[in-house]
Amino acid sequence: MKPGNQMIKQVLRNGTAAIVAMIIGGASIGYAQESVSVRAALTTGGLPLEDPNAAVWSSAPPATFPMSPQVHWQNRIQEVTVKDVIVRALHDGNQMAVLLEYADPTQDPDDAAALEFMVGDKKAHFAHGQPMLQVEGGPVNIWFWKNKTDKAVDMSAKGFGTLKPQEHQDVKAKGVYANGTWKIVFSRNLSTGHAEEDVQITPGEFISIAFAVWDGRKDGSGELVEKGSQKAVSSWWYFRADAPPDYSGYMYAAIAAALALGFQFVLIRKLKKGQSA
Amino acid sequence: MGALGKPIILMVAMYVFLKFVLPYIPGSAPLPSSLIALYLLLTGSGIVIFETLSKESKDAFWGPIQRFLTGETIGGLQALRYGVLIFFPLLVGWQTYGSTAVSDLPPTESRTIHPAPPGEYTGLSNPVPKTPDNIMQGKGFYAAYCSPCHGGNFDGKGPAARGFIPAPANFADPTTIAMLQESYLFWRIKKGGVGLPIEGAPWKSAMPRWEVELPDEWIWKIIMGEYDGAHQSPRTWE
Repeated sequence: MKPGNQMIKQVLRNGTAAIVAMIIGGASIGYAQESVSVRAALTTGGLPLEDPNAAVWSSAPPATFPMSPQVHWQNRIQEVTVKDVIVRALHDGNQMAVLLEYADPTQDPDDAAALEFMVGDKKAHFAHGQPMLQVEGGPVNIWFWKNKTDKAVDMSAKGFGTLKPQEHQDVKAKGVYANGTWKIVFSRNLSTGHAEEDVQITPGEFISIAFAVWDGRKDGSGELVEKGSQKAVSSWWYFRADAPPDYSGYMYAAIAAALALGFQFVLIRKLKKGQSA
Repeated sequence: MGALGKPIILMVAMYVFLKFVLPYIPGSAPLPSSLIALYLLLTGSGIVIFETLSKESKDAFWGPIQRFLTGETIGGLQALRYGVLIFFPLLVGWQTYGSTAVSDLPPTESRTIHPAPPGEYTGLSNPVPKTPDNIMQGKGFYAAYCSPCHGGNFDGKGPAARGFIPAPANFADPTTIAMLQESYLFWRIKKGGVGLPIEGAPWKSAMPRWEVELPDEWIWKIIMGEYDGAHQSPRTWE
């Protein structure tokens, strides 16, 4: 009987441990929160770098973010045209593309939009990386697109008034306007050689992203209503490029289940032997 | 099953007590599930030690478990036995998967909503006399500079508030200015979102740094106007 008893103790101990682990880890069942992050889906069929209407965009989950008038710094604006942006993203392991979509009743030469990213490990204020008074913040990387040129400008800033185009222009952009909607694709390599000024995107890691939009309409006197700091903005949200599929979790689970099953067989055999002896 | 029945009842009773009774004892609080698991583990260990003190109690305790596992002379429980034998490996596999799978959740943000102000902004009293005229002026400044976000009704629902997360503070809510001192408001209005310390990260506050645009006297008047308009009083130490 002795070995049998010890075996039973063992199985009870393991069982209790498994149940305890289940209770503790029970809340960790993960699910994607599209409302707080942009998920760049991994695709193998080539990225639609120049085509905001490509069918493959439908494979990227859309995320919608609310926009506010920029009030943090002068010159402010109290009402803006664009109330929401819908964002999709794709990547292929080398390059990434972000599709920005929003309603704008009129197409104007001065229509413009931008993505903003934190650069490096230091946090930055969403307003152009405006310097924090108590903590040293980091710079931001801004990808700016304007309808007039239909090109992207790769820029850096660390506070208002410090925005400037970078020496190395790594970003491309292309906009298409139809049916009262702008669709703009921004694209870049996931990583660049300039980590001190460009955001570096590592699949699987969350980074911070923010958005800005200018409606290039003019008021009665021919002046631009939204220009410079007078724009629609969002604060920080998350962006993550999907990591390549990793099936090792299933493998480990199968191994663990097989071990548990084997353990049961051995245990019961020993118990039966002990009983008949 | 007599020797097994009591321990099972004891474990269930312990769980019910920890989960549903203990939190309602005055001065107590709900226990985290990890602590409940730990207490149950201790209870279980205690039971095992107690039941194995003598040979008789040991046999009475382990006997039924052993018979159940080997499936001999358990009759109708055979189906349950197979269930347990299938369920246990699946549970182990599921738990292993759960502990190795990559989370899809973004990093948690543990933002401190009201971080401590720098020393020079603690305990300042409003130097502006609390007269109807000054309150009126403060409300005027509030309407011009603050109401676009914080709202004409002091409820954080101004026309420009949409999209700001966290939302602009609702001053009518008793957990905002009513639990803060005037000097705290003076600091937050003067320094704005960029004046937040590291524990205020991720710095999504769009609050302007009003010290570069408004004189201190206006800010003190705005504070007066805010409390009056939101029908709240500043926190004091008396």
